[in-house]
Formats: sequence, structure tokens, C-alpha cells
Amino acid sequence: MRSLIRVAVIGTGNIGSDLCERILLHPDFELVAFVGRRPNSPGLDRMRGRIRYTLSDGIDSLSSIWPEIDGLFDATSAASHRLHWIEAQRAGKFVVDLTPSNLGRPIVPVLVGKTPQMNLETDFCANYSMVTCGGQSSAPLLYSMAVHSSGIQEVEVSSSIASRSAGPATRDNIDEYIAATENVARQITGCSVAKSILVLNPAEPPIMMRTTLHLRVNQIDLTGVSQEIRRVFPKVSEYVPGYELVVEPHMVNPDVASATVKVAGAGYYLPEYSGNLDIINAAAVETARLHFSQIR
Amino acid sequence: MQLLSKPPGSTSVRYVSSVTMEVSRVVTGRSTTSPEDSVVIKFQDVTLRDGNHALRHSMTPEFVASYCRIADKAGVYSVEVGHGNGIGASSFLIGKASHSDRDLLSRARSALTQTRLGVHVIPGFATAKRDIQPAIDLGVDVFRIGTHATEATTARKHIEYLRSRDAYVQGVLMMSHSVSVQTLVSQAKLLRSYGADAVVIMDSAGNYIHDDVRTRINALVESLDCGIGFHAHNNLGVGISNSLAAIDAGASFIDGSAMGLGAGAGNAALEAIVAIYRRRASTPLQLQPLLDMSSLIETTFRDSLPRMTAVSIQSGNAGVFSGFAPHVKSVSQEYGISQEELWTELGKRRLVAGQESMIREVAKDLMNL
Repeated sequence: MRSLIRVAVIGTGNIGSDLCERILLHPDFELVAFVGRRPNSPGLDRMRGRIRYTLSDGIDSLSSIWPEIDGLFDATSAASHRLHWIEAQRAGKFVVDLTPSNLGRPIVPVLVGKTPQMNLETDFCANYSMVTCGGQSSAPLLYSMAVHSSGIQEVEVSSSIASRSAGPATRDNIDEYIAATENVARQITGCSVAKSILVLNPAEPPIMMRTTLHLRVNQIDLTGVSQEIRRVFPKVSEYVPGYELVVEPHMVNPDVASATVKVAGAGYYLPEYSGNLDIINAAAVETARLHFSQIR
Repeated sequence: MQLLSKPPGSTSVRYVSSVTMEVSRVVTGRSTTSPEDSVVIKFQDVTLRDGNHALRHSMTPEFVASYCRIADKAGVYSVEVGHGNGIGASSFLIGKASHSDRDLLSRARSALTQTRLGVHVIPGFATAKRDIQPAIDLGVDVFRIGTHATEATTARKHIEYLRSRDAYVQGVLMMSHSVSVQTLVSQAKLLRSYGADAVVIMDSAGNYIHDDVRTRINALVESLDCGIGFHAHNNLGVGISNSLAAIDAGASFIDGSAMGLGAGAGNAALEAIVAIYRRRASTPLQLQPLLDMSSLIETTFRDSLPRMTAVSIQSGNAGVFSGFAPHVKSVSQEYGISQEELWTELGKRRLVAGQESMIREVAKDLMNL
């Protein structure tokens, strides 16, 4: 018989709340605790009575209940995450980091085992970084294009998201977002020249997230790319149902290929236009599932 | 690299009233003879930045140097240099620049002895570490941090960083026509609260007419304790008169470019604004160098000079970012769809700069592909 993956979520904002709803619906997980810093935060109020613990003393709240959990999802801030990771290591737990701390191993679940660096940790006590929404949304397409290209000279990832889906943390961390997204693009393509762009659009009704890739290559097999997309995208859709190719791979220049994906959210707790938050949360849950099942 | 004077830091509330004094003279047409008691309008030359849109970002360091040598004699407040969307914006998405920011800025820097060197910076394209820091080191004097009119909060970190390095910063609100006056004022106040020394509003779509400008500049001048600037686009043929309206309403910074070289139908022609302004107010600006700059642009880029066209009127009325023009043109040709139809749909969907890749998707939607 399988045992459930027992987890806690720290950070009671939109991301943390959406994670809770997702985990509660997932057959492989048990949500043990939801941790915030204010006893009356709306996030904690929503979960009270629905799970074993709703706690308001930050990471310290977990000191007595570490034995009851296997892993922790961190939806706080990059600075807080550094402290949380120290505590989790002491307790010997795995952590899935949704902050832009860049501390853990960057993981895009659908690409695990497909690129040299995209592997799960072998120790149970591990730290996985969910990179950025642009990183998660570009990675499956980027991989599909990169494996059918030779001589990749430059890679560019540009995303537009609804202004309403960008909270204070995103707005304060745009530079960190850009660096982390470029980093994972380099990792997937093996190309050192990477650029990332993030655009916020305030249109009403809110726009759905879109990510456009540009690759400058010596050669690319567009038919191969299309076939690859048909293999990879259904696996992404298993955990992000709103992931969709909207502009087919095409050449914009003799040596530059481009394609665009759209990401619509599943609407658990966050609205559908928050595809950017949705994809990173879906990836976080999937990463925890993969890690736990591999280790056991 | 001696500046005429240090750029003003935080200016006082009194500044606003002295501008208003001068405005009353300008409006009544009486010329002033004592420049001491008036605040001189600061003209910011964006030819080498916004003009790069018209040239598909192909401006050469050599041209930048020769233009700057003349601009230096004209007495303009600053010369802005770089990719059309600012430093760090060279990309497949928007358009690759033929020359690096570093090459353009360093040549401009050596050519300017009096006039300040400026850059445009859009958070989301440029980062503090990769783009702003090197620009400070290259000797840029005026940093303009631009965001879409509703997204001032994305500029906080960059403005604060620049202030921590003692740099002079203007906060810029792009596509300012797309929001209410109230929103514009509250976003401008945010930029000011982060440390911006002045706030400039851009009519990125060339959508404004006279009264739109007057209302907004008036509201900003009354609500903020810093200099206010205006940046026109000429889609509807009223860029110059809109700039004059901004002066009348109390703006202290006016953007313009030689021959109006800029995105879409171009900016307001700086040489014309100054020629008109000189009739009514005292200014240390020299007209002849400005006319020489104009001639240099006219002869060098004869085939790329922007002008008001049926398409620019369409895009101005639809309120779409002027920088989309070349992208709209090529997608319309590729799909055999009219530019007019595309502009109207882009306006409906309220696209913003940086969503160039959606133009293709919109075209496909329109054609049910």
C-alpha cells in the first residue's frame, strides 16, 4: 500500500493558498500544516478546520511537528527561504521552493531525466527550485526546439502576464526573475547567450500568460520539433491543463526560429488568468510527487 | 566631461509656481527679458533613442558621435541614446540593435562636453546589474525609468538603486493616454515616492490632442512637488502643438527629436518646438545647431523619416504603441490582412510594448487560422 506524502505549506498569500487547494485535491498527498505569521491572516482563516494544523509562528511553528511531515513547500520570500532551508535540513526534510532564492536545484518536472542537469536529488533531504513562471512555461517548448536544433547561438524567452497576477513580490523581483529564467534557458539549451523579458499587461479582462521563444540556430528541423511537441506537451497538460501551443514553430529569419505557448490557469483558488502562478504551483506539486516516489 | 551644472536633485514646491509664472507670459504671448525669474524649459533630445525605432535600431556609433557633437552646442538639456526601447532591450522580440549599448553610449559620452547623456530603461527588459550599472560606469547622467502607465511599482527597485548610486532619475509613464487622469497622478506619485527627481508622461500611441495634454500636465504639476515632462508622438499630426500645450500647462521637461525621428509617425520636431518657444520666452538654446541637427537627420536618413500616414492616424486613434508599426506592417503582408484591421484589433486587446509576438497571433485569430 502506498503511503501519502505528508507536507506543510509555508506562506499564506495567493500562491500558498492555491497550493493548499491543489494538495487537498491530490490523491497522493496529505496536507498536514499551513503556516503563516499572523494568526488572523485571511489565508490561514480559509484553511482552519480543514487540515490538522494552521499555525502562525512562522517556521518555528513546525519545530514540534517536523516528525509528522515529509516535506515543505515554501511560498514566502527569497530571504525567508534561506532561513527555512536551514531548519528543514536540520529536520532532514525535502523542500520545494517557490521563491526566486535560486538556492535549490532548478526543476521542470516534465524534463526530469531529459537534459544532463535536470535530475532529481538522491538524498531525501533536498531543495528544489521552481525557477520562475517564465522558466516553467518556456522549458517544455524550449526543450522540444533545442533537441532538434544544432549550433544554438542565442536563446530568448519573453513572457507577458496579466498585471493582476503579478503581486508585490514579482514586481520587486523582476531582475531576479530575469536572471533565473535565463539561467534555466541556458541549462536546457546548453547555449550561454540567453535573454529573458517580462511584460505586465493591465488589460481588462486580464490576458492569459504567453511565452514566446526565439532561437538563433545553425540548423533546426521544424518537423522534428512539431513531433517532439506532440510527445512532450500532453505530459505537461497532465499537470497544467491550460498549456497550449498558440503559434507553431516557424522561422522569423533564415536562422531564427520562434514559437509561442499560452498558459491558462486551472482555477483552483486563483483565477484562470493567473496561468503564471498556476504553472509554478502545478510544477511544485509534481516535483514533490516525483521526488517522493523516486526516493521510496 | 564637465556638466554645465549638476542636474537638479529634489526640487522644491516653489519650482512649480515659478513655472506657472512663466507659463502666463507664454500664454499671453509677451516675451520675457529676464531669464533669472523664470524656469527655463529643459528640452530633452530623444533622436538617438526613439529615432532608433524608425531605423530598426541600426544607429551607428559614428553617427551618434557626429550628431552629439552638434547637439552639444545647441544647449539641449540631454541627449538620449540607445535601442528604441532603451538599454538592454535589443532582442528578437522587439528588434536587434546593430550596435551594443556600450558602443553607442561610449561614443556619445566622448562627444558630449556640455549636454547630459541620457538613457531610457524599461524594467522587464533591462536589469540593474546587467544594464544600469554599466551605464553608470560609462558616465550616463540622466536615467529615465519607464513603465506602462499602470505599472509604476515595477520601477521601484531600479529607481532606488539609482538613487543609492547618487544618479539623477526621471520616472516615465508610457502609454499615458490609456489611463484616467487620477490613475496617472497616483502612478506618478509612486515614482516620485521611490525617489524620481522628475516625472515624464509619454503619449506612446500619439493619441492625445491639445486638451488631453493640458488636463494631464495641469493635474500632475498641481499634485507633485517635482518637475513634470511630456513626450509627444505625431500620429495625428499634433505632436508639436501638444508639446506647446504641455509647456503652457506647466511642464518643465519637453522631449523631442530632430525631424521628429521616432517610432510610428515620429515624435515632435525639436527644432520647430524650440523655434516657436523662442518667439515667446527667453532660452539659452541656440536655433542654428538644432537646424543643423535636423538637416543632418534629413540627409542621412532620407528614406526612413517618419511621417503622418493613414496607418499612423489609425494606430493613434486606436491607442496602440507606435513602436508596433514595423511589426504590424510585416505581419499584414505575410497574412494578407489589412493594417487597419490589425491596428483596430490590437487597440481592442490593449496590447502593450513587449507584446510584439502577439501581433501574429491576433492576425491568425482575425483570419480564423
